[in-house]
Amino acid sequence: MDVAESISHHILDHDWGVVLGGIRIPITTHSVTIFAVSVLLVLGLAWAARKHQSRAGKLVSVLMEEYVSFIRSGIVLPNMGQEGRGMLPYFCTLFLFILTVNLAGMIPEMKTATSNISVTAALALCSGALIVGSGLKFHGFWGFLKGFVPSGTPGWLVPLIFPLEVISLVIKVCVLAIRLFANMLSGHMVLICLLLIIFIIGEMSKFFGVVSMFPAMLLEIFMTCLELLVAFLQAYVFTLLTAIFAGSVIHTH
Amino acid sequence: MENLLKPDYGVLLLTVCNFLLLVYLLKKFAWGPIIGALEKRENQIESDKQNAAAARKSAEELKKELDERLAQISSEAAKQMAAAVKTGEAQKEQLLAQAKEQSDRLLEQAKMQIEAEKNKALADVRKEISTLSVLAASRVVEQEIKPSSADKIIEQVLQEVKGK
Repeated sequence: MDVAESISHHILDHDWGVVLGGIRIPITTHSVTIFAVSVLLVLGLAWAARKHQSRAGKLVSVLMEEYVSFIRSGIVLPNMGQEGRGMLPYFCTLFLFILTVNLAGMIPEMKTATSNISVTAALALCSGALIVGSGLKFHGFWGFLKGFVPSGTPGWLVPLIFPLEVISLVIKVCVLAIRLFANMLSGHMVLICLLLIIFIIGEMSKFFGVVSMFPAMLLEIFMTCLELLVAFLQAYVFTLLTAIFAGSVIHTH
Repeated sequence: MENLLKPDYGVLLLTVCNFLLLVYLLKKFAWGPIIGALEKRENQIESDKQNAAAARKSAEELKKELDERLAQISSEAAKQMAAAVKTGEAQKEQLLAQAKEQSDRLLEQAKMQIEAEKNKALADVRKEISTLSVLAASRVVEQEIKPSSADKIIEQVLQEVKGK
């Protein structure tokens, strides 16, 4: 059994090979998952936002208001201040989108799109654009550039500090993508490895293969619970860090 | 496995477009109405809180005013009570004095009446005694004596007795 191939098969994105007029259309397992999640979110949330008469509908509306309140009071306002109010829809979407994509991977036959570096990079790019956009919106072009140099910095230190701060911002955005990608990928890798233990031992001895199934399954359940936690945690971390970075650009030192 | 870190720019671009479209659609159809309703309710709550604070302030002012009035009324009542007690005391003293005066007068009248009755009784007794004495004396001397002469004699006898 080729372990590496098995892991790759379960984790890597699969291109469906759609070509239109000689141009490759990126219809892959992950992009389809993202599209499905997006459709689900739009339909579900648009329904939840409507006024409901039924108790279930009212409960969903209250839950949505609580969620928005949590994002606003727990993430956006403490880190960005009142300036962040206008960006609340972005953060509400970001958290829910990442969380739903993370959790989609827990459903059989579906993939965790956030274990794809292209997907997390796309989200990080959007967050990076939001961070830079916030700086430009509240300070203007030169004000935004000035924000990279802390006040009180001696003039001779500016040429050194400025590129360092710019690189720091770029790294922060890159780290957003890598953190989410690595966390979601590693969790799934561990889950697959635990399952493969049974088959690897089973190839050597069927008896030990059956025996190894019980501890492997217990570990699998434990790791699945941990994955659920990580799904929430990473969505929260990504959203929170975006708000912190945007806040640091809005409220410069 | 090396493909894990190899970005697929097509997927990247598609995800960016997908995500931005999702942000736009959700803002329009979901977050907008939800945030609007939330802010409306928060404003309503804030307005209610302000109204409640104003009502509370008004109630406190009214309570303060009523307390002041109550204190004023209590003080006035205490003053009136003290005045009534004072008046009562004066009236009591007056009534007692009147009663004492009346009782003294009655006592004096009674004494005078007793004295008069006593004098009258004494006069009657004296008269009776004189009559009896005259009668007795006439019996003794067996002669008729005029009452006026008898009285004179008796008076002389009594003066002699007093002188002794």
